[in-house]
Amino acid sequence: MSDSPYPLSKCTSVTRRRFLAGLGATVAVASAGAYGISVWGRNPAGNGIPPVGSNATTTTTSATTTTIPGGTIPSSGNRTLVVIEMGGGNDGLNTVVPHGSARYFDLRGDLALQDPIDLDGEVGLHPALGFLAERYATGDVAIVDGIGYPDPDLSHFASMATWWSGHAAGSTATGWLGRYLDATVGTEDPLAGVAIGPGPTPALLGDTAFQTSVQDMTGLSPRIPAWVDSRDELVGMWQGFAPAQFDSDTTLDLVRRAISATARAQTTMNDLLGAPSVSSTGAPRGQQRGNLEQSIEVAAALVTSPAAPRVIYIHGWGDFDTHEGQQNRHGDMMEQLDTALRTLFAAIESAGVADRTLVVTTSEFGRRPAFNGSGTDHGTAASHFVVGTPVAGGRYGESPSLSSLDRRGNLSHTVDYRSLYASILADWLGAPADLVLGEEFEILPLFA
Amino acid sequence: MASEQERISHVFRRLGYGSQPDLIQSVDSAEDAIAAALDLSSAAIETPELDPPLDEDAIRDRSQTRIVLAHWLEQLVSSPRRIEERLVWFWHDHFATDLRKVKVPYLMYLQHLTVRRHATGSFADLLHAIAVDPAMLIYLDGTQNAADALNENFGREVMELFTLGRGNYTEDDVLAASRAFTGWIVLRAGGRAERFFDGEPWSARFVPFRHDSGSKTLLGTTGDLDATDAIDVLLEHESTAAHVGAKLFHELIGFWPDPATEQRIAAVFRRDYSVMALVEAIVDDSGFLSEEAIRARIRSPLEKAVGIVQAFGGGGRVAGGLESTLRTMSYIPFVPPSVAGFPEGPRLLDPHRMIHTFDFVALIPESIPELSTPDLMNRLGLYDISEQSRRVVDAAPPGGTRTALAINSPEYHVV
Repeated sequence: MSDSPYPLSKCTSVTRRRFLAGLGATVAVASAGAYGISVWGRNPAGNGIPPVGSNATTTTTSATTTTIPGGTIPSSGNRTLVVIEMGGGNDGLNTVVPHGSARYFDLRGDLALQDPIDLDGEVGLHPALGFLAERYATGDVAIVDGIGYPDPDLSHFASMATWWSGHAAGSTATGWLGRYLDATVGTEDPLAGVAIGPGPTPALLGDTAFQTSVQDMTGLSPRIPAWVDSRDELVGMWQGFAPAQFDSDTTLDLVRRAISATARAQTTMNDLLGAPSVSSTGAPRGQQRGNLEQSIEVAAALVTSPAAPRVIYIHGWGDFDTHEGQQNRHGDMMEQLDTALRTLFAAIESAGVADRTLVVTTSEFGRRPAFNGSGTDHGTAASHFVVGTPVAGGRYGESPSLSSLDRRGNLSHTVDYRSLYASILADWLGAPADLVLGEEFEILPLFA
Repeated sequence: MASEQERISHVFRRLGYGSQPDLIQSVDSAEDAIAAALDLSSAAIETPELDPPLDEDAIRDRSQTRIVLAHWLEQLVSSPRRIEERLVWFWHDHFATDLRKVKVPYLMYLQHLTVRRHATGSFADLLHAIAVDPAMLIYLDGTQNAADALNENFGREVMELFTLGRGNYTEDDVLAASRAFTGWIVLRAGGRAERFFDGEPWSARFVPFRHDSGSKTLLGTTGDLDATDAIDVLLEHESTAAHVGAKLFHELIGFWPDPATEQRIAAVFRRDYSVMALVEAIVDDSGFLSEEAIRARIRSPLEKAVGIVQAFGGGGRVAGGLESTLRTMSYIPFVPPSVAGFPEGPRLLDPHRMIHTFDFVALIPESIPELSTPDLMNRLGLYDISEQSRRVVDAAPPGGTRTALAINSPEYHVV
């Protein structure tokens, strides 16, 4: 896989057959590869819909229930979680650099970073991560080392599905944050979960929660030529296509639901972003590959607004699949990440909302310790950041050994990625993590 | 029950890109429509010939992309070889390759010609050609893959996405395949390799000393496998025909085949990997004209754009307007969002894309006719409209407003 590895709907889709197949049945868990991606709940009618198992990439299914009763989880107050997904597999070893280890320099050869920003004599940050280093020093950055999952799969798609799902049962049709929203807000608030990037994310896919996606500060404003009469009334008229009640699960009704939900989200989103309801110029550029600078501008506007979403998920960004040309490409990404965090924190601090905003990074896997001659191939465990004033800064987890690699030359993880999720759910969002994740995972003491 | 007109429209929407009224009226039944859509006897609209760029400015020149794209869009709108256009897109999506990484528009043009040449021919020939296609060699790092510096990018994706599908190979197979594919480079115009090997600029070249000639075992076959051998092993594997066949079934019918159907069409495909034999097996399946299939797929932004231009003509600004609207939708030929290709299905119903579907009205000339609701919907190839949709469209002022609503109606979002 190359430059821009965000998902992937090719592998499956919610087909009409799938909708018709299992009305009334228990919600089942699809295997890796079943990305039933839509923007509202995976299951808008509230019926359990097992996937059709015959698609070419979905070879097995198991019937594990993942439904959470609505309203089970108390509200998080006005806190916002901002997830930054680094698509393609970020090189953890050149992000949090184990420069105290001679083995690192042996494995990495010309790719080894000679001048990381030292944190504690053992590890240092990539030289482009100046802001994170400053904030590490002031105690606002938790670094969690060695994050991965058992029996790692080196496929982008399988690994992303695992990270999105966050369930003990493996890949599920719902995402961990979708299940969190199901249990807290359900369908009530269309802006509770916002994906910023080139479409919706499976991580925010719930059974009932609606996910709004937006790309840039133009918000959700159609661009309609001036010669069209009644431009301002179009969206209002458009809502007429959606009936008050839905009684079927045909593809056509799926579209009608999307029209209804989009029209509902549009007004609020445009108000929050100060975007016009309709424009005749200034085409949104679209995000072919997520643009972090644009995305963070939207995130800053939303998180500082009076109606901050509970979850903001920035995805589609990143050129992290650095099989070749890694040195420059990865350096650029690190610089973008650092700049984005600096921008976001300047905004939340001047708005006085730093104490209710938390940022976490994710990526489907790290990269292989050995240099391949121009970059690095798919790997396993990696370090990630949890950033914000509520954080108890420092290092968590354990750096995987560089001398006992697995048979493909990869690191063995030391912290389950669901421990990261559980810690945030339990101690930041105040949610019973076991309910969202399917079982109990170790809680890391990330918060002050 | 769908009307016969809707069924005919369904055939042309699925086996091509068109469903204009004159096309619908040119046949009497869905069965005749299938024959017309699969007919390859008309002459193709030729892609123009481009010169290989020889200096740095020419290499990066985006005008070559615009020329190819403009012709491709013309072919999509007008080609009488309907199934060919459907398959050219299907293979472009299947072997997704991204200009942003390849960076040389001329190489995307060469790949497009390769895809077009084999689109209705042999999948085996197409796969062999793609494995050493210069744009693909750059996109999935084949040019970086050498005996002493293995790069697994292509070796993994060729099995996961292009042939077997996940679950049918091991990490050892990824390693073996990657070793087999070592040794290929692209002779970049003006580059050292081009001078050294004295080859055609922009051709792919096998360089024995970069190839790992040791013994390897790929999916049970052992030997000094090279790229050709490895592709033959992948074609020999029974999962390949099933995986690719099911994907085309899903593309044309809108849902996945059940296991028995998957096996049946895979057996047909595997005989000699004839793409048209596979298409015929899929179209012959009772699913193709079933009520369950009609309007079961979400219409892609490309299908919308092409359909609107067919319905209303685009004036003189078609190519530029199309590119701009497709950009807003993050759905541009030669710029797939990932190696897995373009988004499809419910994923296309996110608020951003739903709202900006209105933008497509800009493709229509200002002198838009004031059509009645039935005439407008027929113009768009839609015959069985719900009462509710008819009322909404009726209530809008005729002309631009009514048309904008029609192209963002529930019915127009599905094919």
